[in-house]
This record gives sequence, C-alpha cells and structure tokens, in this order.
Amino acid sequence: MSGYVLHRLVVAIPSLLIASFIVFALPRLIPGDVVQLMLEEQASGSNLDDLRATLGLDRPIATQYVEWLGRVVRGDLGESLWTKRPVLGELARRLPVSLELGLLAVCFSVAIALPVGILAAVRQDTVADYIARSAAILGLSVPGYWVATLVIVLPAIWWGWSPAPGFVDFRANPWGHLAQFVLPALILGVASAAALMRMTRAMLLEVLRQDYVRTAWSKGLRERAVVLRHGMANAIIPVVTILGLHVAQLFGGTVIFETIFGLPGMGLFLFDAISQRDYPVIQGANLLIVAVVVATNLLVDLLYAVIDPRIRS
Amino acid sequence: MTISRRDVLKLGGTAVAVGAARGLLAPGPAAAQAPKRGGVFRIAGFEPQGFDPQQTLSYRSLTILSMTHSRLVRMKAGPAVRPGTTPLEPDLAESWSQPGDTAYVFRLRRGVRWHPRPPVNGRELTADDVKYSYERFLTVAGNPARSLLDPVEKIEVLDRYTVRFTLKEPFAWFLDVLASTSMLIVAREAVETYGDLKKAEACIGTGPWMMERYEPGVRVTLTRHPEYFLSGLPYADGVEIAVERDPASRFAAFLGGRYDFGPEYAMVLRRLDLDVARQRKPGLQTAEFVLPNMNMTWMKLDQKPFDDLRVRRAMAIATNWRDLVAANAWAHGHGVPNPAVPAAFQEWSIPLAELPPEGRRLYEYDPAEAKRLLAEAGYPSGFSTPVETTAGYGPDYMDGVQAQLQNWKAAGIESELRLKEYGAFLATTVAGKFDKVALGLFGNWTEPDSYLYRLYVPGQPSNAGGVNDDKLTEMIGLQRRTFDARRRREILWDIQRYLSQKAYYLYGPSFSVVVAWDAAVRNFAPNIGHDYGGRLVAAWLDR
Amino acid sequence: MRASAAAVWRFCRRKPLGAAGGLIVVGLVALALFGDRIAPYDYDETIAGARMRPPSARFWMGTDNLGRDVWTRVVFGARVSMTVGFGAVLLGTALATLIGVTSGYFAGGYDTVVQRVVDAWQAFPFLIIVLSLMAVLGPGRLNVILALGVAGAAGASRVIRSATVAVIGSAYVEGARALGCGHLRILARHVLPNVAAPIIILATIGLGSAILAESALSFLGFGVPPPYPSWGGMLSGSGRSYMYQAPWMALWPGLAISLAVYGFNMLGDALRDVLDPRLRGTTGGPIR
Repeated sequence: MSGYVLHRLVVAIPSLLIASFIVFALPRLIPGDVVQLMLEEQASGSNLDDLRATLGLDRPIATQYVEWLGRVVRGDLGESLWTKRPVLGELARRLPVSLELGLLAVCFSVAIALPVGILAAVRQDTVADYIARSAAILGLSVPGYWVATLVIVLPAIWWGWSPAPGFVDFRANPWGHLAQFVLPALILGVASAAALMRMTRAMLLEVLRQDYVRTAWSKGLRERAVVLRHGMANAIIPVVTILGLHVAQLFGGTVIFETIFGLPGMGLFLFDAISQRDYPVIQGANLLIVAVVVATNLLVDLLYAVIDPRIRS
Repeated sequence: MTISRRDVLKLGGTAVAVGAARGLLAPGPAAAQAPKRGGVFRIAGFEPQGFDPQQTLSYRSLTILSMTHSRLVRMKAGPAVRPGTTPLEPDLAESWSQPGDTAYVFRLRRGVRWHPRPPVNGRELTADDVKYSYERFLTVAGNPARSLLDPVEKIEVLDRYTVRFTLKEPFAWFLDVLASTSMLIVAREAVETYGDLKKAEACIGTGPWMMERYEPGVRVTLTRHPEYFLSGLPYADGVEIAVERDPASRFAAFLGGRYDFGPEYAMVLRRLDLDVARQRKPGLQTAEFVLPNMNMTWMKLDQKPFDDLRVRRAMAIATNWRDLVAANAWAHGHGVPNPAVPAAFQEWSIPLAELPPEGRRLYEYDPAEAKRLLAEAGYPSGFSTPVETTAGYGPDYMDGVQAQLQNWKAAGIESELRLKEYGAFLATTVAGKFDKVALGLFGNWTEPDSYLYRLYVPGQPSNAGGVNDDKLTEMIGLQRRTFDARRRREILWDIQRYLSQKAYYLYGPSFSVVVAWDAAVRNFAPNIGHDYGGRLVAAWLDR
Repeated sequence: MRASAAAVWRFCRRKPLGAAGGLIVVGLVALALFGDRIAPYDYDETIAGARMRPPSARFWMGTDNLGRDVWTRVVFGARVSMTVGFGAVLLGTALATLIGVTSGYFAGGYDTVVQRVVDAWQAFPFLIIVLSLMAVLGPGRLNVILALGVAGAAGASRVIRSATVAVIGSAYVEGARALGCGHLRILARHVLPNVAAPIIILATIGLGSAILAESALSFLGFGVPPPYPSWGGMLSGSGRSYMYQAPWMALWPGLAISLAVYGFNMLGDALRDVLDPRLRGTTGGPIR
C-alpha cells in the first residue's frame, strides 16, 4: 500500500515540473508587455526599460525561471506586479472561496445525480428513464451564465430583491457567507450532474443485468436494498474518479460564476492576471491549481486503493 | 443641465418646486433643507489598479483617489454647475495669482491636515508637499499623464504656504490641467516608506475620506477624514465602493436598493433600463448629460487610400452616427455628433451649424455621396481594408463597431475586422502600431486641449495617424498661449472648422446618458470627469 | 448499404432518445450547410426601421438592437457553431488519437514520458488552458478552434490509450506481430478499428462541449469575433444587455445552444450504449 502511494507520488513530480515550466513559459508568449499595459496608452521609450528593470523583467528567461523555481521551493511566490501584494497571501485568501464553491457544487451534483441515476437504471428504457436522462442533459446544455443572469436579474426586476453586493466573510456572517455560494454551486452542480448520472446509471446497469440480481430484486424491499448497496459499491470507484475530475475542473474553471456572483476566487484572479500580464500571479495561481488537482487525483487514487483491494497488490 | 419637468416633479418636495419657479439652476432651494450628517454612500465601482495617481490614467483608480486626495484647484460640483462646463474653485490653494504670463503663485490654505495614518500621521500640508508631489509627477518612471505638465519649467517654494510655478511658455489651460484628477497631491513619507503607492496602506491624502480597508476583488471602504480642511464636510460618514464586475449583477443590485447611485461609470444608469428602474425605485432622481467619450477612427495617413481626403470624407459620410446612438444601450437613441472638440464641452465645442459646408456634410449620412467621392478618388467599386480594434471595451462597444462597419459596407468599403485582446490592443494598436485603420475609444480628458494636442501634434502619443500639419500645429500652439477666453474659443472654433475640412480622424458620436441617484441623496449632480470626490463631498443622505 | 440502413433503423427503435438526438444533429448540419438559402436576410444586414421588434410574421424570431433579423443570425450561427464544434473536435480527436494510440502501442519509455506530459496538461482546468491559449493567439475563429481542440485532447487521449492497451493484448495483434507485420499495418488493421468506438463517442459528446465552451468564451470576450454571428456571442453580448426589454434576442440563440448540446449528448449516449462492449447484451427493460 505504501509502495503504491510512494509510486504515485514519485510519478507526480515530473508532471509537476513539466506543469511548472508550462506555467512559466506560456504567459510570456502572450503579446503585449506588462510594462506597456501598466502605462495604458502613453508609453514612451526610456521609461519602459527602467520599469522593466525594476520589475526584474530584463534578465534572460532561463535565469528568471530558475530563480522563480528556487523561490517557489522555499515557499515564496513573489509579489504581484500590479499591486505589490505577496502572491501567496492573495492565493491563501482566494483558495478557500474556490474550494467551498467546488465542494458545495460537488455535493449538489451528487445529491441530484445519484437518485436520478438509480431511477434511470432501475427503470431502464422506460419513459421515466428517458425523462431522467433528458433532464440531466438539459441541465448541462443551458449555458450556466445564462441561468445565473436570470436568477440574479429577474428577482430584482420583479420584486426589487437583490443580495447585498460584495463578498461576505465567514467571520463576519457565517450563514450569509454560506448562502452566497448556494446559487452558483447549485447551477454548477446541475451542470456536472449529467456525467455523474450517466456513470451511476451505467454502473448500476452492469450489476442489474445479471439474472440472479434481477431475481433478487423482485423478491422485495430488503433484497432491493442489498442490490442497490452492491450496485453503488461497484459504482463508487468511477464515481469518485469523476468527482475528482470535477473538483479539479471547478477549481480554475469558475471564472464566469465568480464574475457574476462576485466571489473572489482563484478563477477570476487568474483570469485578471492573464489580462494584465501579471506574471508572478499567473505563475503562482496556475501552480497552485495544478498542485491542488494533482493532490486531488492522488487522494482519489488513495481512495481506490482503500476501496479496491485488487489495486493494493 | 437638462432636467426635464417630469424629473423635477419627481424630485418632490415643495422646496424644489419653489426652485423650479425661480429657475432650475439656482442653488438656493437645494440648500433650503439643512444637510444631515451621517450615512454611507454605496457606489458600484471597479477594482482599482493601485493607488498611485501618477502611475495610472484609469478611471478605476482615479475615481477612488478623487475621494481620498486633493489638488490645488478643482472643478466646481453640485446642482448649480451645468454638466460639460468646468468652472474652477479653490481646493488646497485658497487663492492664486498670475504675476506674469508664465508664472503662477498659489497660496495654500493653512491647517490642511493629511490623513491621520502612518507614516504621515496627520501632519500639516505645506508648500514642500506640493513641490515634492509635482516634481515626482514630472520625474517618476511610467507616468502616463506626464505630458500634461510639459510646459512646466520649475516649481519653487516661496514660503511655508506659498508655491510658485514657472512655465516655459504661456499655457492658458494650466489651471484646468491642475484641476484634473491626475494632479492629486501625494505624501512624501508614503512614497519613501513603501517605495511606491500601489498598496492601500500608501493611499494617504488630504481628501474628505480616508482609506479604511481594501479587500481586493470585493470592496474599498473609506471613512470620514476627521480633520478635513472644509469644516463640516463631508456630510457622509463614509463611502463604500463595491467591486462588481458584471453589469447585469450591478443593475440587479441597484434595483434591489444596494447602491445609492447609478451602477455604471459616472453613476450612469443605462437609458435602456430607465423605465424598469423608475418602477422599482420611486423617487429616483435623474439628470442627463453628454459624455465626452466617443468612438474614434484612426487611419494611417501615409498609406493608400487614406492619404486621399476624399476617401476619408467618404468614410465619414458613409457612417450614420444615429445608428450607433440607437443601437447603444446607454444612449438608447440619445446622442450628439462630435467635432474635433467633443460636444460634451459646452463652452468650447463648435455647434455643427457653424462648420463650413464640407465640414457639416461629414455628419450627414449619405451612402450615395460616399460612393461618388470614392469613385472620384479612384475607387469606383470601393476598397477593402483591415480594421483593428478590441472586444475589451464590452459588447456595447462591439455593437457600435458592427454598426459602423455595416454602414461602410453599404458604401463599398469592405472591412476585415481584426480583434485584439485588450492588453495587446493597448500595447500595440493604441500606441500607434496598427496596419491601416484602427477603432477605439477616446475621452478621458476634462479640458479640450488634450483632444487636440495629444491627437494632432507630431510626436504626441495619441497621434496614431501620423498627422503633421504645420498650420494646425501652429493653431493648436496659439490657443494654448491665448489667455482671453473669448479669443481662445474663436481659435478653437477655427481649429474645429479646419479639422472638419481635413478629416484626419473620424469622430463617432457621444452619448447623452442618464445619471441616477437615490431619492435619499441630496445636493448631488453629475459632470464629466473622474472626480467622484468633488461631487460627493457636499452631498448628503436624507434617511 | 441495405445492411447499414437496417442497422440505423434498429438503432432508432432501440434508442429513441438517441435517434431524436441524431435527428437534431442532422437538422443542425443541414442548417449549417444550407443556411444561406434558408435565411431570408444577410447575417449582418440591418433592416431600416426594424430595431428590437418582437417576433412576427416578417421576423420569425424578432430583430436585435442593430435591426438585424434574429432568425437569420441563428441560422448563420449554426454554421459558425458547427464549424467551431467540428473543427475543434476534429483537431482534438486527431491529436488525442495520435498521442493515445502511439503511447499505448509503443509503450516503454516513450509512453512514460508522454503520459507525464499528458498528466501535466490535464492538471490544468479546461477553461484555464483555453483562456491562456486564446490570450497568446488572440481572438479569431481559427484560434478558438485551435484552443478548444488542444485543450480537450488530453483527457480524450487517456481514454484512447486505455482502449489501445486493451487491444494490443489481444490474440490478433500478438499473432500479427509474430507474423512480422509492420507497425503501420497493425495499427491500421487491428488497433484503429477497435479504438473507433471510444473515439466516436468522445467526438460526439465533445461537439456539445465545444459549443458550450465557445459560448463561455464569448462571455469572457474571447469567442468567435464579429461579423460572424455565433450563438454564444448573441447570448452573452447584447442578448444579455437587452434581456428584459427584448428577450427574444437571447432566447433563440440560447435555445439553439441547448438544443445542439442536447442532441449531441443524446446521440453520444446512445452510441455509447450500443458500441460499448461492456453494456452489450444488456437485456434491457425495467426490473419489475
């Protein structure tokens, strides 16, 4: 078991290194120098070079990369070029927001997908199955930002109701803090429920197709409960895989929801940094996202190993 | 200020009705009710890009800094001021004199205190601070507004409360330039302690409110400066600027009563949403004015076919400015065409009727005439050109671009739209590096000189087309040296007439927008520019 | 010919939802191909005096704030969406197949290295990769296709690799190798046909994702640029601005997106049910 874990960890390291290089190089390919952007429209020759030197952007790329990597290993992610605030500090503020959104979305996703998936499997190829599957797909085929817009604007127009703008900190108001995640997490959850539902349904079908299982099912509630438990146990692994993937995707992919609902999360932070060529922030945020994703995948693999004894050997 | 009768009646209260009888612009009635102290202004704002007025031109930062900092002179604010006019009044300087054409002596108020925050700790502002701040303005690396003070030669401290500016040449706009939000005065200790003024802790000024808390991506909280130099002001205890990115969310929050002012820049409420807003918010106060911001078309004047005046005129005549105004959600059909000095500048912009006939023609939509001009210039079946712009100004802007390009198509001008990402656009296209035609927005300046100097004088950063017209340069120089306002206006009108015949750049229309504020807000009125602080300092909340 | 027609008919009967999805897909492709003959106006044509008109006999879906016919723009939007969707999926699938098949087939050190790179690539959330690539490439229809294709290839390559690995263990491939058949022959005759099923399924569902992704990109300002109407652009741009005053500006492109994604997903689901060997032979029918 520990050998397995160790193996997975070792395998993760080169991936992280490759990722760190991509993270470093890609933003520098974006046209438009950060210094020119800072000066908006009025750049003039000598000023630019001075500013570049101040920001340490005048040295060769390889040097900058190695220096950066060295500092990262020591836990120093540098400072934002625009606000001079330490990147690590900013990330620490925003990470929990993204995590909460992601986890809550996953909860909603599971709460929707599991019952619907079970229903669809048990009533395979009937109207109920069609409706369930259609509803799930419908959930993901409406662009999220559109639902979000309707949900925000219509109550304001119809009833003059709107939540207070600005992010509510947990310490200031715990319930308000959680409440502001509910709507975006719900919309995100509905969208990701489809894939989960498919998986649940497929896994359950695999169990149910065996004749002895079908016989057991017809015998009554207690047997049905056993069947379901058996089916769900089978489904756990792929379901957990998908959930892991979803958390990962949710992590940086929630720019739109953060914009609309005013949540200061990682996605928006990164998006702004890309628009402003804030290289240290882009690098730091990307690296953190990648690290979280890799960690999540590792966790999922560990869960596999715990659940499925076959893998341990 | 064009407040309609309907608006006046909606404002309610006998006090204002009396005012309507006496004339809408009389300040008396508005002040008849005693101002109340207290309350917090809630504004929908933007993420500031640092807190250094000398390192940014962005309204995102300057609107906030206008509430925390002061300058020597400022634009008058309040219901008595007609939007689009820029009368000046003392800010930090209590009086000034002009001993010669190129010398200005400012006498500062006594007892002006900086915010009681480390490292400045509420000490008194002196002439040394002014000298320091302006010298930093002129020398700090990367100041995009630097050329505003090109004519300044030196700044001297005469005594503790007196500063003298000596200019290289007479500059009639000097005081107006000093009133701009780029001229906010910063504290030496803040710069020396923090190295620069990007951090919120370094945001220390002498303005009516102080920086209390900055939560990036969330809000900026300002609180009253206990020793603000205008005693009794500000009335409001604080200002809360929420960073709200999405226009739909901003509008929803406005409808829900979460903001005291219109949700867009300059407290604008999109005219499209006005009816809905009035239903939801009875007693909503509104005013209309023309924004100076306008769409501009830059053309490389040394490249075919834009070197031919007839082609440029054809492009202008082929553009129906009314289409753009009708398609835009802010304007929703209300707007005005712009000569070279934007129509928003009531005192300096030339009425179209005063333009020479060819100049007036530019604003009369006529695709047939455009085609005729093109044929005359040698392009009977039109021509094709790349057009660079960015989607970064938002979907409203892109709609306007599409309307304009459609207009051109009808006259035979095919455009190949090349969109650039916003940052890349600023770094290249706006800096002049584009391939034939570029479209963009222009309009951040609060005095007409910048609209001519920056765009038409060779070597200036916004002179993207490469204009090099000696006569024009001389006229622009002349108006900069002419102190007599009437004479200066004549020269400006001559310049605008001249430019309407040259069509070096094409000017889109400006929108007449609606500014909205809550029924409880008193003594507030809009104007051009980023000076939120000036407009809010004497306003108060009646709740 | 007759055999495939019969197969299609069987498919429709067994999988009505999938057949419905297939019908939708066929309809959209037809709209994309014959759009210019179906649409009454030009996609950027502004009709004088017809600003923000609600749906009527003349303008089936109403007009927008520039005076353009929404139905026309939805029809041409189908062309744009299909182009972007198919383009991205084609590119992504080709890339994923190349990487997945070679990685699974040649195994060894090559496989290890490639899989680490794929790991790194897959560690980035989809939208982040796309946004970064779009920032580097700049706006443009081709760039959207490139970015979406490259970003989506990583995950798909994994699935294809697994399928490849499963196939090369089979008796056929072992035998072919023993006979000394060249790599290319083995790949073409044995590996690819067996990997075809997951590829088809991935591609079909990927089409839906591509259309949604384009609409998300439009919201962020990186979608397909004008003058081409894209459903995402119509929905996220002035459609959103005018959503209360002229809801038809957003309603129809929104429905179009939903319909397209629904169709592709249903079809993909049904194909998976039919082609996935694990579920083959499921007796079907509800349990009583």
